[in-house]
Amino acid sequence: MTKLRDLAKVIRSKNAGALFLTLDIMFENEDAYRKVSESGAITPRTIAPLYKVSDNEVEVIPFDVALAIKITIPRRIIAGSPGDTDVYGAQQHAPLMEITIPTET
Amino acid sequence: MKPIRIMAASGMLGYGFTEEAFLNGLNLGLDLIACDAGSADPGPYYLGSGSAFVSRLAVKRDLGLMVAGGFESKIPVFIGSAGGSGSDAQVDWTLGILKEICTEKNINPNVIVLRSELNKEDLKIKIRAGRTAPLGPIDPLTEEHAEETHRVVAMMGAEPFQEAINAGADVVIAGRSSDAAIYAALPLSLGCDPGLAWHMGKIIECGAQVIEPREGQDCVIGTLFDDCFTIEPGHPDRRCTRTRVAAHTLYENPSPYKLKEPSGTLNTKSAVFEQLDERVVRVSGSKWEPSDRYTVKLEGVKQLGYRTIFIAGIRDPILVATIEDFIKSCRQRVSKDVTAIGISENSYTLDIKVYGHNAVMGENEVQAPGNSHELGILVDVIASDEDTSKAVCAKVRYSLLHTDFPGRMCISGNLAIPFSPSDLSAGEVYEFNIWHIMECDGPMEPVRIEVFDTNTIN
Repeated sequence: MTKLRDLAKVIRSKNAGALFLTLDIMFENEDAYRKVSESGAITPRTIAPLYKVSDNEVEVIPFDVALAIKITIPRRIIAGSPGDTDVYGAQQHAPLMEITIPTET
Repeated sequence: MKPIRIMAASGMLGYGFTEEAFLNGLNLGLDLIACDAGSADPGPYYLGSGSAFVSRLAVKRDLGLMVAGGFESKIPVFIGSAGGSGSDAQVDWTLGILKEICTEKNINPNVIVLRSELNKEDLKIKIRAGRTAPLGPIDPLTEEHAEETHRVVAMMGAEPFQEAINAGADVVIAGRSSDAAIYAALPLSLGCDPGLAWHMGKIIECGAQVIEPREGQDCVIGTLFDDCFTIEPGHPDRRCTRTRVAAHTLYENPSPYKLKEPSGTLNTKSAVFEQLDERVVRVSGSKWEPSDRYTVKLEGVKQLGYRTIFIAGIRDPILVATIEDFIKSCRQRVSKDVTAIGISENSYTLDIKVYGHNAVMGENEVQAPGNSHELGILVDVIASDEDTSKAVCAKVRYSLLHTDFPGRMCISGNLAIPFSPSDLSAGEVYEFNIWHIMECDGPMEPVRIEVFDTNTIN
């Protein structure tokens, strides 16, 4: 069992417009990318509870050419509206770092 | 066809670039120098107030080098989303700076201005005709939305820039614009492959994001050929890498494969990225899917009121351990205290964030509380007028400073207050209330095109 933070090179979050948050997980080599994308650990079902959204609101898009996985979810609060904690959405990635990636036995 | 070479001076007008990279780019021979000046990322305040999130000095430096360099070498200069949000006030602010530059450098370029701020009545006509739609989880627009809107801009596509080229522009100062359109317009006018033109625009619009080593913003050069385009840094000592260029297609987009523009969609599914040499990346295979409807994105804000904030620290370990209950009891006390001075509960909102606890992630926080030895408190009060906002904030401060809690030993005060004055007025508060698309009869419908005389006195 390994944590996502130990396999990825970049784990980042940012607004994709004022209504969505987009999270990118990027890898240094094909091996790590395959290990994670084939592990079944990054799916709408595993991501939804981390951000208190429903499964059908989560999009997980693998992007082979950049060895990256993109996750897009709706923001709970429109960027910059009262109660928002992160106007740029740049610090919402931490829950992803602790995701456990099962390693083959 | 002759290759078309375009330089993005910086990822953001005012974020800077090195003169070395800029001159190196000029020496390569350019067809266009351009820069995006806007972003909605800094939030609704800037569109609301019509002010910039970069400094006037920084914009003057960047724009000055671009305009003087372009004028001398007869290369057009395009600025998109002027002033940050591309409203009329921010376009005017940029024109003021441009005029100062032209006077100081004694040059007189032909300046074309493209404005895309909408008036409420025109917007209401579109809403009534059912020609607006939400761009995500936000309510459909009604005429009431339009009425309560403080300011709204339309994000223009490539065609208005092409009109400006036809009008003989040396310099174009545009209101809210698609970032990629600023760069795609000229190649599209010259008959280039639209998939490649839009994809190149999308990659270079963020400037040095695709450059290594990352040492702040800098110039990036895109060169468009018949069947591919290349990306290289302006600076001779830096390089573009395949990974960074490919990864940039992810940046700030909900999907890396489909990038929506007013006149169609860029599809990067079959794009191929190759490292050509140490500094240059080649991209091919991007496809353009034209749309049968011309749609522009709308960004609008309404004013909510005025904000007063208060910041303090807590070091008392007994209070740190019971912070949630303490905040709850303070909120109850505030509610009574505020009513007592004649302020109704529904005339303000109070948000108390506890840094070191869950201020960043809120209810999504995964870390169990209790690991911090000190906490930061941020009190955020929004009310319809400034006096009410200040009055509520003062009551909250008093309550946090002097309310008892179980086992309290620090009876002379619960907070370390870092400033005097302790309560800071943060001005007007806005909220994005329009984040929609609007169908247009043609690309110029939401745009006004004007000639700006840099010699006028006003």
